[in-house]
Amino acid sequence: MTDIAWEKPRQPAAPSRKINAERLKLYAGLALIAAVLVFVIVNGTVNNARYFISISALLEDPTFVGKTVRVSGAVVGSSIAYDAENLIIDFTVADFDESTTDLVSALHEAVVNPNTARIQVHVENMVKPDLLIDEAQAIMTGTLDADGTFYATEVLLKCPSRYEEAVPEQAVVSDEFSAAHP
Amino acid sequence: MLAEIGVFTTAFALLTALYAIGAALWGERRARAGGREAGREAGREAFTVSARNAVILTFLLLLTGSGSLMVALYTEEYQIAYVWSVTNPQMPMFYRLTALWGSQAGSLLFWTLLMSAFSAAAVTLNWRSQRRLMPYAIVYMMAAVAFFVALVLFVENPFDRWWILEGAPVDSAVVKAALIPAGAVAPSAARLAETANGLNPMLRHFGMAIHPPMLYLGFVGFVIPFAFAMSALASGDLSSNWIKASRRWALIAWLFLSLGLILGGRWAYDVLGWGGYWGWDPVENAAFLPWLVGTALLHSIMIQEKRGMLKTWNMFLVIFTFSAVIFGTFATRSGLVDSVHSFARSEIGFPMFGFWFLLTLSAVALILWRRSRGELRDERHFGGILSRESLFVLNNFVFVALTIAVFWGSFGAPIVSELVMNTNITLGAEYFKSVTPPLFILMYILMGVAPLSAWGVASMPRLGRALLLPALLTLATLALFVAGGTTHLGALFGYGIVLLAGWVALIETVRGMLARQKAHREPVYVSLLSLFARNPRRYGGYLIHLGITVIGIGVIGSTLFQQETQQTLSVGESLNIGGYSLRFDELMAGQISDDGRLMDIALVTVLRDGAEIAHLRPRRDFFPQTEGMNTMTIAGAHSTLENDFYVLLVEWEPINQNSATFKVYINPLINLVWWGSILLIFGTLAAGWKHEVLPARMRQEMRAEEGAAVPTGRLARKGAQ
Repeated sequence: MTDIAWEKPRQPAAPSRKINAERLKLYAGLALIAAVLVFVIVNGTVNNARYFISISALLEDPTFVGKTVRVSGAVVGSSIAYDAENLIIDFTVADFDESTTDLVSALHEAVVNPNTARIQVHVENMVKPDLLIDEAQAIMTGTLDADGTFYATEVLLKCPSRYEEAVPEQAVVSDEFSAAHP
Repeated sequence: MLAEIGVFTTAFALLTALYAIGAALWGERRARAGGREAGREAGREAFTVSARNAVILTFLLLLTGSGSLMVALYTEEYQIAYVWSVTNPQMPMFYRLTALWGSQAGSLLFWTLLMSAFSAAAVTLNWRSQRRLMPYAIVYMMAAVAFFVALVLFVENPFDRWWILEGAPVDSAVVKAALIPAGAVAPSAARLAETANGLNPMLRHFGMAIHPPMLYLGFVGFVIPFAFAMSALASGDLSSNWIKASRRWALIAWLFLSLGLILGGRWAYDVLGWGGYWGWDPVENAAFLPWLVGTALLHSIMIQEKRGMLKTWNMFLVIFTFSAVIFGTFATRSGLVDSVHSFARSEIGFPMFGFWFLLTLSAVALILWRRSRGELRDERHFGGILSRESLFVLNNFVFVALTIAVFWGSFGAPIVSELVMNTNITLGAEYFKSVTPPLFILMYILMGVAPLSAWGVASMPRLGRALLLPALLTLATLALFVAGGTTHLGALFGYGIVLLAGWVALIETVRGMLARQKAHREPVYVSLLSLFARNPRRYGGYLIHLGITVIGIGVIGSTLFQQETQQTLSVGESLNIGGYSLRFDELMAGQISDDGRLMDIALVTVLRDGAEIAHLRPRRDFFPQTEGMNTMTIAGAHSTLENDFYVLLVEWEPINQNSATFKVYINPLINLVWWGSILLIFGTLAAGWKHEVLPARMRQEMRAEEGAAVPTGRLARKGAQ
């Protein structure tokens, strides 16, 4: 059907106007790919950028209300309410110090101290993640409603495991994989 | 005892790696200073040989070190902090051994071992063929190995033991150290055994046992192409020697990286219970980036081998592949990004970032220096836009564009916003879902067209004629999809572009096979096999293209047409979804498994048109000994080529066990992703198959001498000597 010379290249002619024209076409192709790249990246970034802020920052700045943001907080275990039939999860998260190197203690402090900033989180159509437990770190994407409830669309959970009393506090943050539901 | 063996062998490995660097540099220097005198030449030899032996010794030492940690895991030496943190007495033997890569310190040692294994293999196998490149290649391989050994020794030491400082206050009495601190005693092994953590339950899965080694092999394997490329730049031997030395190593690394990505996806699908296999998570992306650059590299080195073009570009690609490996490792292991599978924050962040930065900067500087001296000049100019080399360049651009887009979404935007705007911006999975499809479409189009175009010359009519048959077959296949009920235009467009690439690969293979059959009058399977044996790279490549096509169809189908529902059912009740129904038969709560987990299992039956087609057992596992994360949702799935019927047990009434809630997904065509992956693996194996093409002159001589068929491979080399 076709008779293509596979591995037998012809010696190229000396650079001529024709070659230059072909090279222009190649550059045009490359420019096209570059243009597609720039367009999709800018477009994707503008449409999908989420500010990652702390809970206290979210509550202090009213301009964030209604905007999609990402927040991180400590899960208050006693607050978790799960409606398995309709797949609705409600829970409270507390603000914690994210710059800490001792994540376990920071999460614990945030949950036991009643004065930390807190928000109510409401998630729909989500099976309760196995990692949604007391003093887990929840990283949530969603919007804060005017009524003060955070409507999350994505919840990522991390659980640093606590070492037991026999070997106290020297390596509190476990470096295991914290596998979770994306 | 085991801990001491581990610490000392690892420390020696650092010394031998550094020695190898020194000896290789010294040998090379003496050779340059005046290689003519026979004595000096021998001296150079001695140093280079010594450097090679040190590379092999480094590997043996690290093997001993890792072996002692493995024995410690097996014999339950809980006084070693790493053993204590990843195993416990209830764990089965298999997972106790795979715990070697279950956590940061052990996996870093394992990673270093694999890198030194690749180095030892490369200096042994390529010793004769790449003699000139060897000294500097040893320098670069061992620099990378030495860096990681140093991390293992000084930052994340898996041989650290627990010690109790007598007389110290209670909260600081227990310390972790490799060697015994003054005035310390070892804690009781029995007490430590009681409190040992055990491996994270999620990692107790066969896929998780083999996914990390595959991924690590893929990552570290790229050190060899990197080292040969750097050696070419450093020594000035800028012929295509380094490509000959690197190609197969790059292919091996690419094979393992592909396997690692596929197994990771499969594990997520089986264990994480969200009905998907790829979540565009930063850590997944960190492994995907070297795969993308590596794929571009495997294509573009063909241009340099065949046409002597793209020399600078290839250097950049090989260096950025390895740079992406180190960056990905850094991002994953330092806790830089919040991800489902990142390690916790670790001290290794700063040194790793420094290493990555220096490595990339120095490599780029070396390329630019050689280029400025005119030593990387291409031997040919580009032909037409439709010539194969031009299409390959476009293909490379698409891969690089994908790399940039994925890098920006996972790391670029968060880092830049942090540095420049002092805020933290992240881009979710939606970003990747909008950004990557246009680029993947371009990739598939080029995959369909490029194999049909010719080197050097370009002719639209000829290319059009070649495309006619694949295009007709694609339309025929699309008609089948339409007949099967697919009316979504976007999906049909996607299927069409993907199918064209697959048909081209298939037709080219069949055509080659028929041509052979005609010429040799042999059975079909013999022609097919000898086709692969004669030209494994081309036909292996086509098989990979076919695999990527099958995967593409699976991805489009399972992404665009996934159906889901959830419902609470009483025993005997059914739910309906997509022409299927699911009947809840029984709940078996509290089943105890060998490794101590409690399983709540639902027995369900899947029916289609009233006929029972499968009994599934979705379940929830509970690990009573584990604190924190201790439950796991395991899906039940009925797999056919058409779709997966995927059921999760969400919740149940613990008391009368009469009702339970299920979440059901129907994932159309998802199994094509796995089947395509298998094709891809076989194609890569074929493409990397040992096949040495002798220079044409030697082949002619041999033919004249023997008057027989020309052997290839090892046999041929023996005959030629």
